[in-house]
Amino acid sequence: MAKESKSGRYDLHSRRRRVLGLDKGQALKGLFGGNALVSVIVLALITFFLFKEGAGFFGQYRHDIELYRKSGLEYVEIMKKETDSFSELNRYLNSIRGEHASVLKERGLSFAEAKAELSSYEDFIYNFEDLGYPLREYVLEMNEVAIGARNMFVEASNYREHRENLLALGRDEEAAEVEVLDVDLSVFVEMIKEGEPDFLALNDKVAVGIIRLTDDLPTIGIEKLDDKMQRFKELALMFVSEMDGYETRLAEWDPQEPVGMGSAFASFVFGKDWVTNSSIQDWYGILPLFTGSLLVASIAMVIAIPLGVGAAIYINQVATPAEQNFIKPYIEFISAIPSVVIGFFGIAVFGEFVRQASGWAIFSGLDAFPISERLTAFTAGCLLALMAIPTIFTLAEDAINNVPKSFKEASLAMGATRLQTTMRIIVPTSLSGIISAILLGFGRVIGETMVVLLCAGNRIEIPDFTDGLATFFEPVHTMTGIIAQELGEVVNGSIHYRALFMVGMVLFLLSLLINYLAQKIVLKYQVSRG
Amino acid sequence: MALVKDNPKVITSSKTSSSMATEKPEPKRPLIRVADFDFYYGEKQALFDINMDMKENEVTAFIGPSGCGKSTLLRCINRMNDLVEVARIGRGKIEVNGADIYDPRVDTIELRKRVGMVFQKSNPFPKSIYENVIYGLRIQGINKKSVLDEAVERCLKGAALWDEVRDRLDTSGLSLSGGQQQRLCIARALAVEPDILLMDEPCSALDPVATAKVEELIHSLKKEYTIVIVTHNMQQAARVSDKTAFFYLGKLIEMAKTDEIFMSPKNEQTEAYISGRFG
Repeated sequence: MAKESKSGRYDLHSRRRRVLGLDKGQALKGLFGGNALVSVIVLALITFFLFKEGAGFFGQYRHDIELYRKSGLEYVEIMKKETDSFSELNRYLNSIRGEHASVLKERGLSFAEAKAELSSYEDFIYNFEDLGYPLREYVLEMNEVAIGARNMFVEASNYREHRENLLALGRDEEAAEVEVLDVDLSVFVEMIKEGEPDFLALNDKVAVGIIRLTDDLPTIGIEKLDDKMQRFKELALMFVSEMDGYETRLAEWDPQEPVGMGSAFASFVFGKDWVTNSSIQDWYGILPLFTGSLLVASIAMVIAIPLGVGAAIYINQVATPAEQNFIKPYIEFISAIPSVVIGFFGIAVFGEFVRQASGWAIFSGLDAFPISERLTAFTAGCLLALMAIPTIFTLAEDAINNVPKSFKEASLAMGATRLQTTMRIIVPTSLSGIISAILLGFGRVIGETMVVLLCAGNRIEIPDFTDGLATFFEPVHTMTGIIAQELGEVVNGSIHYRALFMVGMVLFLLSLLINYLAQKIVLKYQVSRG
Repeated sequence: MALVKDNPKVITSSKTSSSMATEKPEPKRPLIRVADFDFYYGEKQALFDINMDMKENEVTAFIGPSGCGKSTLLRCINRMNDLVEVARIGRGKIEVNGADIYDPRVDTIELRKRVGMVFQKSNPFPKSIYENVIYGLRIQGINKKSVLDEAVERCLKGAALWDEVRDRLDTSGLSLSGGQQQRLCIARALAVEPDILLMDEPCSALDPVATAKVEELIHSLKKEYTIVIVTHNMQQAARVSDKTAFFYLGKLIEMAKTDEIFMSPKNEQTEAYISGRFG
């Protein structure tokens, strides 16, 4: 070619082969570009789909809560709260007796002797319980009325909808056959409201009764239990003083007060209850699931961060090549274990092991131990840590590896020890990389489903953070777990279905935030290197 | 703080050595002595039978084509080659102020406090200028502000950088220009008060102006430190050094006063290299 061009003009036309008008470079570019485009489209579709399915939730939920108010269920709920806290008092009283019984048993008293001892204040307990009966019965009755009203209303609107559908289809005859009751909820609410003086009268009786009974507190003769009895008195009097609060709430309650979108939103975001398929009222509050997820993830991170980062530092700075070749693939291999297998291991081996280990003598000083549950936040957290370690390890090791070798040399040449070099130069320099590794590990953990579904115990309740150590050994439910568990059995398009999509959206946003933060931090890290 | 715990020949600190030099100007004694030294990377021999002395308060330049072993020998003097997994000594020894530095009882940390090093590529830590300079003191557990302040000023002045950065000691060392960074690295090396400074092509990444500044600095540092410098730049060797050693293929070919080696080299290879016929 070159020889030819010397004689005449250069021939610079492309000689590459073309298929469909594309040469090889263009075809490759198209292929890779296509792949990238597909992933962008898929991500957009997922986002769109989540929004579309979840979007209707708040409207529906608002409507639901409105019905709850208009049918008087909300009113009944206030009364029910009062009776619930009365029952709590009863339970406390009974627990004192139970404790007394076990103390007597320890002392070696026979059954008859113990019974005689216990019966000295039996009347007190029964009398106290009896105080609550009329109140509870009244509330149950009102509850029936409200539920009946609500159900009739829902049924009526279902029929109405059915008729409208038929009319829309032009089947007028059939539509005419559908009978639609006109349910006026306010009638029922009036009915419930009318009973208010009765309830107030019952309340007064209970208050007087409690004051009278607790005035003459039985003594047991065991200091610890008498202290508890005193505490009971305090609680009971506190209950009496709280009764006014319930009464004013009842008086102020207004069935026509509109339910705003804001309160539907607040009820989702800050709601403490996730109750589905209830005969009274369904609640979709994400808080128990959110705190559950967070608790499990926190436990996992507390375990995984020191192990993952520590291993990364060790492998990169201290280990011999032989150790590196052994440990590195080993840790990375963990991520190859399917999560269902880890969950299975958690149920079959680890959960039981934790429960038994909590009974060991060395833990006897701790209040929280021994634990009774096998599947708890701790069990799930430990297993999730196992899954987060490879992520944190690999990324942190990369970050440490990215520290220029010259930094290490410079430090060592100044007479620094290996440890000083690691702690003062290597780790601070790679810190942002390590932090983003931790964040991505966190993202991995919060999105993990199978392990938490199998091992977290699935109790929908906000963990009681006042319990100290025991908080970590309570069963919890998680956002990912609830979606996996419930999505299969909900009616398409129902409020429950949409609520699950909203939970999915919260998860999605959370992961997005974590990844965004991780990227930001890595970016900052690159800049600081100059 | 003895280099070798039970060796009476303790390396003295720079302060005493310099004051001694002013009191009684005795003939310069060899501070670094390399004797029959063979060195290997794995199976490959990198240095063959090196014998040389480097005297106190002199600048010795190592020259030679790439891969001739000059950097290897330099890094042997403060045992930075220990970081290379397969590196080992075959034969011979290196003595620094009378102490055999490859004695198994030697603590490399004590050695490196006395034999500082400046690298080819400037490598300040991603910390402030202030923290960069006092790094060596911090790792020795010195945290007293007055001591550190004094050290920063002294070392930056010593490295002819003080006037340029005195107003911005809190800014990152990485924000400085290449020449300033290299002088910062020199200041950092001075902070631990070594007796010897090893420089591994300190100017190879610098422009001529920055190079001139560093060379000037080397001149002034000579009064207090013994300097060994590896360079590819023959003019630089001629400008800054008192003695010059020419290496070729892992062997020390010729070592003499710089004037002699550039004016009338005894060895043919040396002459060929210096006059630019190969290398």
